[in-house]
Amino acid sequence: MWELIQSNRRKSLILFFGMGALLILIGYVFGSYYDPEAGGVVGVFFAIVLWVILSALSYFAGSKILLAVSGAKEVTKDVHPQLYNVVEEMKIAAGVPFFPKIYIIDDPAPNAFATGVKPENSAIAVTSGLLSTLNRYELQGVVAHEMSHIVNRDILLMTFAGVMLGVITIMSDIFFRGMYFGGGSRYRSRSSSKSSGQAQVIVMILAIILAILGPVLAQLFYFAISRKREYLADASAARLTRYPEGLANALEKIANSTHKLRSANKVTAPMYIVNPLKREGMKLADLTSTHPPISERIKILRALQQGVSYNDYQRVFEMIHGKKEKIIPDSVLKESIAVTPVIGLTNEDKDFNPIEARREANDAVMKLNDYNFINCKCGVKIKIPPDYNKPIVVCPRCGTRHQLR
Amino acid sequence: MNCPICKEPMIILELNRVEIDYCPVCSGIWLDEGELELLYSIDNTESELKKLFRESSDSKEKSFKCPVCRKKMIKIRFNNTELIIDKCPVNHGLWFNKGELEKVLSAKTNQSSQKVLSLLKEMFSYNKSQEAE
Repeated sequence: MWELIQSNRRKSLILFFGMGALLILIGYVFGSYYDPEAGGVVGVFFAIVLWVILSALSYFAGSKILLAVSGAKEVTKDVHPQLYNVVEEMKIAAGVPFFPKIYIIDDPAPNAFATGVKPENSAIAVTSGLLSTLNRYELQGVVAHEMSHIVNRDILLMTFAGVMLGVITIMSDIFFRGMYFGGGSRYRSRSSSKSSGQAQVIVMILAIILAILGPVLAQLFYFAISRKREYLADASAARLTRYPEGLANALEKIANSTHKLRSANKVTAPMYIVNPLKREGMKLADLTSTHPPISERIKILRALQQGVSYNDYQRVFEMIHGKKEKIIPDSVLKESIAVTPVIGLTNEDKDFNPIEARREANDAVMKLNDYNFINCKCGVKIKIPPDYNKPIVVCPRCGTRHQLR
Repeated sequence: MNCPICKEPMIILELNRVEIDYCPVCSGIWLDEGELELLYSIDNTESELKKLFRESSDSKEKSFKCPVCRKKMIKIRFNNTELIIDKCPVNHGLWFNKGELEKVLSAKTNQSSQKVLSLLKEMFSYNKSQEAE
């Protein structure tokens, strides 16, 4: 396990400096575009200040920002007991001493992600759509996948990269908008000599190229690593639950959902268990996608018949992928002990009732939004929104007058 | 969510796993799109039920706004009767004025609508007895 963490830290550092360098370059070129003499320095200064502020912000509050942007709300055990129990089980299975915070996002599209700089203050967020479509085994698979991201320290990397990517995207956005409104032309018209005019054309072209390629480049930095992390988290999840079919079915359900996640954007997309910005029929997407093709992930999980250890995952991965590629670090493979899958579990959760699961998920969201729940003695459950302003509510079934605070 | 007619916040009632939005002021009922699906998930009469509704352009009733998306709801006529119901143009759900849902369900008597009808009668049994007095 230690090497997983080490190599992740190294990658975190490379990524951090690589993106920082890109940021400085963008700052310099954009600055020069606006003012050829002093602009470059100002641009670099601006970029570095932005970088430092946002790096600090992402270290201390990155996960909070990402959770807030996704509209996630923290839940306690009584809001959704099953989710809480599953997280607790996976926490014990993974042998982690801390309890991740649990968040629910009010969105019918099923999806999930983990975040947090340190494992001690990490968080797992799931959508209400996920809770209402998955049965217990499938939910276990998803939570185990997210728990693996936490244990493997992927979240530090993902948080940093997410915020960095955001800065670069914002900068090129500002540049394009500035160009649209003709911000640079004032300075350009002042220059008289021919050679500096030529230099400016070069700077302008360079700036435009960087504005287009910068965000793409920053994303590519990140995609290659992120994809490997997804496979690794799948492998760990199969090992933790000893039931790869659960995660496979969950991935299938998530992929087949027709709902689109409202809060997802380019920056937050890579964090989710399944890319929420999927587009149909995009072959090119394989190169630039943050996630391995979902069909392949499912295929690998389903092929884990004899064992669910890291060794098995690596072997099946190579078999299905058709080429040798290290998904799991050597030292881990060396120490990998055989883990047999749970046999005889039918995925059909007997107690699973889609109506009830949906009701439970909706209730959880309502509780998070400060709805007042009254269980009338006649059996009717009355859910009162926080903006209901009358002092009493009359049960339409038995006529009981319920006093409201 | 606010009632499209009186603009007051609606309360949510749940009985036997069926959930409806109910306006305590005008006794109107809002059925979410998903809720309708759940109500009829017992058998596949949902599409059958939909066939019974026809858009009516000649209605003189005042139109209301969908409580979810605030778009103007369209009037739909039920099974060539005089019964006119409001429907969200982008399918967020159906609005039934007081008593309308009952009429719709009692007109179409198959098993699942029977089930829903008795449930509704149950849910509003106190209101019913008040009206009788």
